[in-house]
Amino acid sequence: MRVEYINPFVESAFNVMREVLQCDVKRGELYLKSTSMPVMGVAAIVGLAGDVEGRVLFDMDKPTALKIASTMNGEDLASLDDLAKATITELANMITAQAVTKLHELGFRFDLTPPAIFTGENMEVSNQDVEALIVPMETPQGKVEINVAVRERA
Amino acid sequence: MKTKEDFPSINERVPEGQRADGTPFRILVVDDSMFVAKQITQILTSEGYDVVGQAADGLLGLERYKELYPNVDLVTMDITMPNMDGLTALSKIIEFDKNARVIMISALGKQDLVKQALLAGAKNYIVKPLDRKKVLERISHVLAK
Repeated sequence: MRVEYINPFVESAFNVMREVLQCDVKRGELYLKSTSMPVMGVAAIVGLAGDVEGRVLFDMDKPTALKIASTMNGEDLASLDDLAKATITELANMITAQAVTKLHELGFRFDLTPPAIFTGENMEVSNQDVEALIVPMETPQGKVEINVAVRERA
Repeated sequence: MKTKEDFPSINERVPEGQRADGTPFRILVVDDSMFVAKQITQILTSEGYDVVGQAADGLLGLERYKELYPNVDLVTMDITMPNMDGLTALSKIIEFDKNARVIMISALGKQDLVKQALLAGAKNYIVKPLDRKKVLERISHVLAK
């Protein structure tokens, strides 16, 4: 997987989270994974199709999702209700939209699917034929992992 | 004794969301994201605007506009929505009321759609993530025209 696809996601995740959470976000070490990956508990997924194809997963545990949604709404949300889910979805939307703008400027053409949210325990994600690059982000609300698995269309 | 009247108060400023006579501007918020709709509503009500309606897609937004008309001053319209997208809803609202004031709410990276919307009669646009200052600035600017 070429790093040009990844950087826009890393940069925009960093920028958008810093902006909406109004705080410091630390970028962890990137790593590649070609086997299945555990999913922490709340995962927003956005699909990409076009010159590049694949998906981006925004993964965090439930307390982190709740804290992020609470911060973004400016009020304490007690449970992962519709509003909290809509908030995490919107976060995924904003990050991918900004990344895609950068990729379009680099000349890649593709479309996005609307984000979907998965919640549950002991979930795993696996990709065949495409490696996933994981970018951990440390926020005061907890860890968010951005898991990007994209490739050029053959 | 000094009373309140001796001090000019910044609180006497008319909130942006109100006309000089104190009546609020009436806004319809069309957005499929509960989070974004809530965020816009909070920003606007804090400045004295009256959010008279919310709709979760373009079709509902169009219906709501027709119901409210002429008691609505401005619409904020998301672009990507199920059932009817914001561009179609915009055209239909303008078909119904050629003086409608509609502001598009767009994710970054939809410049082409924003351009189409402006050509179709949208008065301005706001890019997400929403910034309170920008939202208020763009809306009061459109209403002042």
